Amino acid sequence: MEILRNIARRKLRSALTISGIVIGVLALTTMGALAENFNALLDGGVKYFGSNVQVGPPDGQSTFLLPLSKIDDIKNIDGVAAAFPGYSFSLKPGAAPSFSFGVPDTIVAGSPDENNWTPFKITVASGRQLTASSSGEVVLGSTLAKEFKKSAGDNMDLPVKPADAKPDFVNHTFKVIGVLNQTLTAPDTFAYISISDGQMLLKDSLPAPLQTALDVTQITEGITVYGKPGTSLSELDKIANRINSQVQGVKATKPSQLVDAFKSGGAVFTGITTAAALLALLIGGLSVVNTMFMAVAERVREIGLKKAVGATTFNVMGEFLIEATLIGLIGGLVGYGLGAAITLIVNATTAPGSTALFLLTTRLTVFAIGFAIALGAVAGILPAFRAARLDPVTALRNE
Amino acid sequence: MASVRLEDLRKHYKRGSEIIRALDGVTLDINKGEFVAVVGRSGSGKTTMLDLIGLLLRPTSGRLLIDDIDTTKLGDRDRAHMRSEKIGFVFQEYNLLPTLNVVENVMLPLRYAKTKVGGREHALALLERVELTDRVKHRPSELSGGQQQRVAIARSMINRPSLILLDEPTGAVDTETAEQLVALLKRLNREDQVTIIVVTHDLDVAAHARRNIRLKDGKVLADERVEAVPVA
Repeated sequence: MEILRNIARRKLRSALTISGIVIGVLALTTMGALAENFNALLDGGVKYFGSNVQVGPPDGQSTFLLPLSKIDDIKNIDGVAAAFPGYSFSLKPGAAPSFSFGVPDTIVAGSPDENNWTPFKITVASGRQLTASSSGEVVLGSTLAKEFKKSAGDNMDLPVKPADAKPDFVNHTFKVIGVLNQTLTAPDTFAYISISDGQMLLKDSLPAPLQTALDVTQITEGITVYGKPGTSLSELDKIANRINSQVQGVKATKPSQLVDAFKSGGAVFTGITTAAALLALLIGGLSVVNTMFMAVAERVREIGLKKAVGATTFNVMGEFLIEATLIGLIGGLVGYGLGAAITLIVNATTAPGSTALFLLTTRLTVFAIGFAIALGAVAGILPAFRAARLDPVTALRNE
Repeated sequence: MASVRLEDLRKHYKRGSEIIRALDGVTLDINKGEFVAVVGRSGSGKTTMLDLIGLLLRPTSGRLLIDDIDTTKLGDRDRAHMRSEKIGFVFQEYNLLPTLNVVENVMLPLRYAKTKVGGREHALALLERVELTDRVKHRPSELSGGQQQRVAIARSMINRPSLILLDEPTGAVDTETAEQLVALLKRLNREDQVTIIVVTHDLDVAAHARRNIRLKDGKVLADERVEAVPVA
């Protein structure tokens, strides 16, 4: 109680000091939430691309088209347990490109069986998943469902027709059969359709001469290859090497390269945002040091009195450390509260189709408040040490 | 049994090349329950002697025994505990904490005591003895000088010390209040058998003590037992 009264004793000074911590923690919370959101997005990529080998056309080929027969060749490679064709299309063709932290809205065609192989499981919040025989059906990611206000049972034209579409623009009506749970990463902006529907959209996307010349049922845009469950990343890299050396006309990317790319992207972003926020917080910490030194200077006689009535060096040091820590705690709680409010308001006002900008996580909460407390405590060490070392005789007669 | 024993106690300071002999070989016994006034001019060594007895200073040489414990052999932590348990302090400027109310100020030493006797009940009982029951929740700034000094006296008693040290306790109050404070000290001394050592310039205060120790240049010039003046 006395400590709280001491903080309240110099209201303006305490408020200014706490404001320094508040601004720092607010910056740490918002920047951290931005980084956490970005990391969640990348973590999904790490989990998905770290579990398989992506196979595409060889270097130098201008189109993303492969003969479907390559799947059989790949399945014969040592260590390969399953391989799936895949197709992807822009969900909103012709839409103006925009910078976003999310993955663009995409139509993804693939085998429902792939969900049994990947550790990155997608689950439905409502409705059901696609089956091997699905046709004219779509399962929407959570963000897409919100953007287009669709739920299971509704119809949806895919791809979405642009406002300035040419007369020959083609799209198809799909029945929404399910909406996925939120993943905070790519599937949230994906619309999943079956392979046969994917091949139909592929045909629509080809130039007219090719539409008749090519049998799209024998073509895929890419192949996703799985080893047996539990296959390590290094073993998957070896599978990629074996595909490249034994299967002609394809290029397998080592999953470790993709994983490293995701991780380094995340590390740089986290580093920049966190460093900026920590800098703000350290400046706040210096104001705590200053305030506590002033508090010691003002309370010299009190310190002398406390020593006279039995306070040990440890007692005096402890009291000043607790006071500094409390300043950090108050600043941390207020700063986190304001930061959390800002992130929630911004997320709530984000357009329904856009990926949320911020992600508040438990570890961010613990880190932001914990760091403020630790900063207060560390900032209090030197002033507390000075207070504890005061000679009681000199302190008692200090004017 | 002596409550306080000083054996050839010295405190010397260096000021440049000069050595200041603030206390220079004082030997004396102060018995349990005595009311002693230490008098002398400024610079005579009386405050240094009080600081040494209060374990706020370490002597340059000699021995200081409190309740037969040789304090010169104690470490800082043990000296702090001894101050807490055996010694009460009253200062000229009261030294009350402005953020604490009256009863909280009285209870302050309990915070640092190993054995916390009495607590709030004891603090309230002491405030009753110093006639401040109607000021329990007041802040020091709301009290007169005399009232603040009575709070300081109650605070000095909270850990039931065997020794109370007072440094010019009437220096900041008017004559009438000083008389009341002295009467209070004499009553506490008589009722609790607590040893009281008061450093003072005030001859009226010294006249109420039963023993006057006069210091000059760090040495005992006179040590006289006096007939106590009746309490007003």
